[in-house]
Amino acid sequence: MTHAIQVDNLTKIYGRPGSGALAVDHVSFEVHRGEVFGFLGPNGAGKTTTQRMLTTLLEPSEGRIVIDGHDLAHDAYPAKRQIGLVPEESNVYPELAAWDNLLFTASLYRVPRRERPERARQLLEAFGLWEKRGVKAENFSKGMRRRLSIAMAIIHKPALLFLDEPTPGLDPQSARAIQGLIRQLNADGTTVFLTTHQIEEANQLCDRVAIINHGRIATVDTPERLKRTFQRVQSVELALEPDGQAHGEALGRLPGVTTSVKMGDKWRLYTEDPPALLPRIMDYAGSHGLRVVSLNTLAPSLEDAYLEITGGQVGAIRHEALEDKPRRREMGGRA
Amino acid sequence: MSSQGAVRIRNELAQAWTVAVKDVRVYYLRPGMIMFGFLMPFFMFFSFSVRRELGAAEGLARLLALTVFFTAGAAGPFIIPTERRIGTYDRLLAAPMSLLTLLLGKTAVGAFFAVSVSVVALLAGLAFFGSAIAQPGLLAAGILLGAFSFSTLGLAFGSIPTTNPGDVQMPSTLLRWGLLFISGVFIPLSQMSPAAQAVAYLSPLTYAQDLMNHAVLGSGLIRPWLDLAVLLLSGVLFLWPSLWLHQRARILGR
Repeated sequence: MTHAIQVDNLTKIYGRPGSGALAVDHVSFEVHRGEVFGFLGPNGAGKTTTQRMLTTLLEPSEGRIVIDGHDLAHDAYPAKRQIGLVPEESNVYPELAAWDNLLFTASLYRVPRRERPERARQLLEAFGLWEKRGVKAENFSKGMRRRLSIAMAIIHKPALLFLDEPTPGLDPQSARAIQGLIRQLNADGTTVFLTTHQIEEANQLCDRVAIINHGRIATVDTPERLKRTFQRVQSVELALEPDGQAHGEALGRLPGVTTSVKMGDKWRLYTEDPPALLPRIMDYAGSHGLRVVSLNTLAPSLEDAYLEITGGQVGAIRHEALEDKPRRREMGGRA
Repeated sequence: MSSQGAVRIRNELAQAWTVAVKDVRVYYLRPGMIMFGFLMPFFMFFSFSVRRELGAAEGLARLLALTVFFTAGAAGPFIIPTERRIGTYDRLLAAPMSLLTLLLGKTAVGAFFAVSVSVVALLAGLAFFGSAIAQPGLLAAGILLGAFSFSTLGLAFGSIPTTNPGDVQMPSTLLRWGLLFISGVFIPLSQMSPAAQAVAYLSPLTYAQDLMNHAVLGSGLIRPWLDLAVLLLSGVLFLWPSLWLHQRARILGR
């Protein structure tokens, strides 16, 4: 069976071999036809570099890329006809109206002339931009530009769509709309290669996920299997009344707790065995005259799974959260 | 040639045209194009021609050579870095067409601009100088081939991987000034020393100016076919650094 994408030993070194920076390190994977494949990793992991090589924008230092049976090194033209690309920055022409942006792209991809207006109309309607078809893209919101950028990438009905970080910076409503569009495209038969650093987005959209860090793929698996692999990063989230910083150290010392993290008005306790922890929490609350306002067991998130597989610590991501939201504080961690 | 090959060539030509038409719509009225492409040749002409003894036909030939030279080379250094900055250049590079097709489309943008402004310059020159055109066919060929050659020269600068047009517009302008001053535009070739003439022959502008002299004055120092051949050849040769720079950018990731 021919894969939508087949990558063998793909390597990219920026600069001179020997003294250059290794961005992608002998990566191999396949993307099946019809799936949404997530390429997940932190900033600087090598995601975008890999995607740029897959879309012919970068030349690999080593390795082989086959798109839809065509080796990019020797036979890029038919492969490029199958590809749609939505880069991280919405690359629409600000000076052109939405309608003209679409017609330009249709012409660039040699969509039959008679079909261009109909396809442009269908896409603008589907993406909620029909009423704005005559408005220059420079007057669009970020979410509208994103939608137009995706519409431009699929006007030639590509079999394979590359999306680089499609939702960061968008308001929740626009992000949900984009995610809905991705699902619909996939349901219509388009293979999607999704580059993201948002684990929850990959979790919600992808059939399989590759986790990449430092230019190497740590694993490729389904989001659910990745979660189950890392049961030890399950957690219990609770809110106590009255709340106080002192609880952090005490909760962190409860048997079975690996780390306790303050998240807003709640505490999250990481443990391998949530059911066993629940009575201990109730005992702690009772013995200190506290009321348990809420208590939830949480399945391990892909975010925690990523940190685990790449050698990070669960607490590390809380430190990032601390930088964003000073009210959140980590207390009493023992990980 | 196979029918598949013919379809591919037809598609690539259509794609080059699509790129050119889009650029014309998006960029022709941008300040960078107007400043470096439209106003520059007229500034240069008036700076070096006013209050000097200059015949009507000679003035028109000089104005046309300057217009083609500056206008054609203005597009590449402005448009490509701008498109790299806003990310739209990746859209073109990822499209199913060869790099040469893309570069020919970009060349056409500068060339169209040069031809359009040259027509304005020609009409203004005819009105101002009241001169006649000795060989209209040669004039058309000179404008077209000059526009092609100088547009690919500008494209070579535009192909330097940067996202800031200013990074390439200034060196591009400096080189063009250098070529301008060694060429037989302000000092006729016939009045140059042999050493200066030898240097002047290195500049494609010398051949464009000589061709304009043939077309407007009816006489030049070099044979017209040689002027045309040099402009055509230099235009093709200037594509090579553009191809090399694009390939280099693809390797370096810029």
